[in-house]
Amino acid sequence: MRTLWTILRKELLDAFRDRRMVLVAFVVMPLAIPLVLAGTNALGARKQSQQLEGQLQLPVIGAQHAPNLVAWLEAHNAKVLLPPADADAAVRSQEHDVVLRIDDGYADDWRAGRPAHVEMIFDSSRPLDSGMTVARARGLLDAYGETVGTLRLVARGVHPSVASPLQVAIRDVASPESRFDFSQQILPYLLLLLAFIGGMQLAIDSTAGERERQSLEPLLATPVARETIISAKILATAVFSLLSLAVTLLAYRLAFALVPSGGIDASFEVGSLGLAQLFLVILPIVLLGATVLTALAAFARSYREAQGYLPMLMFLPMIPTLVLMVAPVRTQLWMLAVPFLGQNQLILRVLRSERISALDWLVALGSAFGVVAIVWFIAARLYHREQLATSS
Amino acid sequence: MIRVEGLRKSFASQTGRVQAVDGVSFEAHDGQITGLLGPNGAGKTTTLRMLYTLMTPETGRVLVDDIDAAVEPMRVRARLGVLPDARGIYKRLTARENITYFGELQGLERGLIVQRTQRLVAALDMRDFIDRRAEGFSQGQRTKTAIARALVHDPGNVVLDEPTNGLDVMTTRALRTFLHGLREEGRCVLLSSHIMQEVAQLCDRIVVIAHGRVVAQGSPEELRAATGCATLEDAFVKVIGTDEGLFA
Repeated sequence: MRTLWTILRKELLDAFRDRRMVLVAFVVMPLAIPLVLAGTNALGARKQSQQLEGQLQLPVIGAQHAPNLVAWLEAHNAKVLLPPADADAAVRSQEHDVVLRIDDGYADDWRAGRPAHVEMIFDSSRPLDSGMTVARARGLLDAYGETVGTLRLVARGVHPSVASPLQVAIRDVASPESRFDFSQQILPYLLLLLAFIGGMQLAIDSTAGERERQSLEPLLATPVARETIISAKILATAVFSLLSLAVTLLAYRLAFALVPSGGIDASFEVGSLGLAQLFLVILPIVLLGATVLTALAAFARSYREAQGYLPMLMFLPMIPTLVLMVAPVRTQLWMLAVPFLGQNQLILRVLRSERISALDWLVALGSAFGVVAIVWFIAARLYHREQLATSS
Repeated sequence: MIRVEGLRKSFASQTGRVQAVDGVSFEAHDGQITGLLGPNGAGKTTTLRMLYTLMTPETGRVLVDDIDAAVEPMRVRARLGVLPDARGIYKRLTARENITYFGELQGLERGLIVQRTQRLVAALDMRDFIDRRAEGFSQGQRTKTAIARALVHDPGNVVLDEPTNGLDVMTTRALRTFLHGLREEGRCVLLSSHIMQEVAQLCDRIVVIAHGRVVAQGSPEELRAATGCATLEDAFVKVIGTDEGLFA
């Protein structure tokens, strides 16, 4: 136990004297990630409010056929523009989000009481760019149609409610925390990724690096069990990445406090209980990352080879997020037992202030720590290989 | 006291298995300096690595103070002070921190480490750089730090793999005096070298290794008598069969 502490302390001292490592873990990561996220979020929020509240830019073909409709649109915060020569091409090239075409026979149909034809031209493959504008235009057209329809019914002595047999009311049970916005999609992945590979520098440096600098052989010649050595290195990696993660999260909160996000609260609000829960969820992933990295670095023949495995590892925490994006499913108990997927679910629940039962905790933590134990065992076995110290 | 009996070790290579050590037996006694002499690639480093339990021999056994290294490797390592072929020291730690770290790994108390470090700093003349970070140390400073950290637990048996490798004349001379001091304290000193002159000057007993086998062993006088050569160098060349890989 004492030697474990000795090695752990030495590895951390060694790491904190490595300026590059400290710079990346405690300055670059905490600065870059929140700024990029907060920045894009603020940008997105600005665009959204522009599209929602700004004047709707609406080119109309054949505006002369329906002066009343055009006047009504302009009265409802739409700016009717002269149409482009080729409407399809203009939409395709994103010059306009949506173009309205009023049929030549509009006036005749209108007067005859037949449905008059109006055509909306837009590109549905760009829901993120133009979706909001298209929806606004459609909403205006629907509202105009409804208003006129109601007036026609009243003129014929029919109560307008006859044409509305159904009245649909909406009650959204989402709590403010559970509104699923951009940062909530990215936050679980970010937390898991940082937890998983935040200690990569230290893990590689303390294993593959130690071997490359030829200090492993003297270390192995001391009367210390190899299990103790590798456990201490794993713990040092875990402590380092937890510290880096804490600083990054702090910076994340600060960034969202400083960057105006246009009314959309993209930060996460968790109390001290939530923080404790997040810590508990992430802890096994930190240990798993430290163990996997250390095992890989012990397996790799060189520093460079160890670094070569990193892109593969970065992909791992991404998988559940991708799966959930494509096929969002209800949380089931077995999911909690899958590393990363389970943590992803739990992080979301913590952020939404949902209850997590004792069974959920048991399954998630039990399985994650079980995987850690298995990888630890493999790492310790790798550390017993003869080639470990001598293949240089 | 170190006893090595019938050690064998082979490695896989692209052209099949190579028998690096092929039945090596020798003894190194307390209060003596024993030299393992042989050309590069004779199997000296592999023999020493089996001795300090970094490698497991295929056959044979290693006894340190009559403790079997295969049975109680931890106790054996605690009784050895090892300067391995790989001398890496931690560059971001000072020389003193390097030594202290190994003292703690050996389970020593802080006070004892301070005391021992002080003695080693004096004996190895490390005052100038003891509190400097090891980044940028000269070869001699690195070797001294590595020797000091290997001896901080005051081991009865000292194993040094090519201790004078890369050292300048002054440092080599100082190291020689230091090793004589270890002998006077009654320790068992075992070193390997491919430099005939060094072994001839320093060692009480010489074990000559070639192609993974012991080809001769004994005191310098015994070796000269057995080969009928006037000088020790001629005797070495005669028992090894060639002077290739050796250094005068």
